[in-house]
Amino acid sequence: MNFFRDIWNSIVRRDSLSTDKGKSELVFLNVWLHIHPAKVKKEHLRFRHTFYLGFITFFLFIILVTTGIALMCYYRPYPSQAYQDMKDLQFVVFLGPFIRGMHRWAAHLMVICVFLHMCRVFFTGSYKKPRQFNWVIGVLLLLLTLGLSFTGYLLPWDQLAYWAITVGTNIGSYAPLVGGQLRELLLGGHTVGQAALIRFYVLHVAVLPGLVGLLTIVHFWRVRKDGGLSRPLWKLERKPVEELVTIGAPAEPAALRVSSAAQSKTYGLMEVVTGKPIFETVSPDEEEDTVFAYPYAFLRESIALMGTVVGLMVISILYHAPLEELANPAKTPNPAKAPWYFLGLQELVSHSALVGGVVAPALMVLALLAVPYIDRNPSRRLRERKWALWLFSAFVVANLVLIIIGTFFRGPGWAFIPPWVHVVAGAE
Amino acid sequence: MNRRSFLGWGAAGFAALCSSVAVSFGAVLRYLVPDVFYEPPQTFKVGKPADFAYGPPTFLADEKIYVFRDREKGFSVASAVCTHLGCTVNHFQSDDRFHCPCHGSIFAANGAVVHGPAPKPLPWFEVTLARDGQLSVDKDKVVPSTYHLMV
Repeated sequence: MNFFRDIWNSIVRRDSLSTDKGKSELVFLNVWLHIHPAKVKKEHLRFRHTFYLGFITFFLFIILVTTGIALMCYYRPYPSQAYQDMKDLQFVVFLGPFIRGMHRWAAHLMVICVFLHMCRVFFTGSYKKPRQFNWVIGVLLLLLTLGLSFTGYLLPWDQLAYWAITVGTNIGSYAPLVGGQLRELLLGGHTVGQAALIRFYVLHVAVLPGLVGLLTIVHFWRVRKDGGLSRPLWKLERKPVEELVTIGAPAEPAALRVSSAAQSKTYGLMEVVTGKPIFETVSPDEEEDTVFAYPYAFLRESIALMGTVVGLMVISILYHAPLEELANPAKTPNPAKAPWYFLGLQELVSHSALVGGVVAPALMVLALLAVPYIDRNPSRRLRERKWALWLFSAFVVANLVLIIIGTFFRGPGWAFIPPWVHVVAGAE
Repeated sequence: MNRRSFLGWGAAGFAALCSSVAVSFGAVLRYLVPDVFYEPPQTFKVGKPADFAYGPPTFLADEKIYVFRDREKGFSVASAVCTHLGCTVNHFQSDDRFHCPCHGSIFAANGAVVHGPAPKPLPWFEVTLARDGQLSVDKDKVVPSTYHLMV
C-alpha cells in the first residue's frame, strides 16, 4: 500500500492533524486556507461579535456564482429568446425553478447581509484606524452588489425587468453633464432593447462578479494584515488601556526593552531589509486566548456555510422566483416598481428625479465612503461615540422607512395607499 | 547623456506613455458607443388620415405616440413617454389628461405638467403628409403644442 500512501503524501504534505505542527501546516501550506491565521483569537470566533455576516455574505456570493453558471447553460441574452428560456427554466428544465429560486433569493439575501454586515462594522467601530480603507472597499463591494442585482434584474425580460431598468437608467440620465451619455453607454442605444440586454448580461456574468471577486480578496487580505477582526466591544470594556493589536513597529519602543520574556512574546518578520522591523507583541494572556483555526474556526465556518445553503434551499423549495408576463414596451404596469432594495430610491425619485435620484444617493455614497475619515474619534466604546451612532442609526432608519413606504404604501399612479386598503389592480 | 537631456527625454517619454494610455482608454470607451443603432427609426409613417377617428386620441404602442384628430384644427402628435423616467403615460378620456403610472405625474391635454415629478411637458412631434398620402411623424422635430396639420 506504499504506492497509494506515496500519492496521498505527495498531495497532503503536512504532519498529522493530531499534532499542533500539523494543525498549523494545514492552514499555511494550503493555498485556499492560508487566508486564515494558524491560530485565531477565541473572541473572534464569538457569534455575538460578528454574527458571521461577512462569511455568510461570502458564501452567498459563492452560491450565486455556482447557480449563475448553471443558469447560463440555458439562458440566451436575446430579447426574443430570453423570456422563452426563463419559461423553459420554469417548466421544462429539471430543477430549473429550484436553481433559479436559489439564485434569486441568494441575491436578495446578499443585499440584506451586506447591509447588516456594514451596520455591524459601524456599530462596533471596526472601521477605525488601521481599518479605514477596508471600510471603503466594503462600501465599494456594497455598490457592486447593488450593481449585480440591478443588471441581473433585466435578464428575465419580463415586465418587471423591462420597466425597472427603464426607470433605473433614466434616473442615471439625470446626472449632470455625463448623464445622457452614461445611459447611452450602458444601454448601447436609446431604449431598453437588444443592445441593452447583451450589455447588462456581460456586466452581470463577467465584469461585476470579477470585480467583486478581486475586491473580496483585498478585503479579506486586509482583515488579516490588520491583525484579524476588531476586538469585541465587551473586551474593550474590561481592559480599557489595551487598544487594537496592530502589525507594525511597537508604538512605544521602550516597551520592548522593559518587557521581559515572561511578560510578553515578540514576533518579528526576519528578513534582511532596511527600515523599521515589523514586530507584533503579544502578551501571554492573549497567547492563551488563541486556539488553532483547525478545527475551531473551520467548524464554525462550515456550520455557517451549511446553515446558509440549507436555509436558502428551504426558501427556494417553498417559494419560487417570480416571473411576470413578457416585457411590453407599450404598456407600463401600474404601479411600476423597482426591486425592493431600490424602492427607497424610487420613493425619493417620485419627489424629484435630480435631487432624489442623483444628488441624494450620490451624497449618501460619498458620506459612506468618507465615514472613517470624517469620524476621527479614536474610541470604539459605544458611550464615547454618541454622535456617530445617532447619525448612522438615522441613516439606516431613513433608508428602511423609504423602502417600507415604497414597498407597502404606494399604489397605482404612485398614490399613497396604505397596505390595508384594497385597490383593484389594473384599474385605469 | 547629461542630466538635462536625461530629464528632458524622461519627461517626454512619461508624457508619451500617459497620452497613449489616455488615448487607449478613450478608444475603448468609443468602441462601446455603437455607430449603428438597430432601433426603430425616428421618422415613420402611421397611416392614412382617414384611419384616424375624431375625438379620443389614437395610441400607437410601437411608436409610443398619441395621434390627435380635431375637427377644426386637424392632426397633432404627442409623445407618450413620460419626461420624468420614461414610463408610458395613459390618456384618460374622463379628465382629458395624461397619467403616468410610475410616479404619478399628470399632464394636461396640451402636454403641460399639471402635477408631480415630471420636469418638462410632453413634447409634440411634427406631423406631415407624405407623397403617398400617409401621415408621417418625425420624432426628431419637436413642435409647439399649437402645431396642427390640416388635411
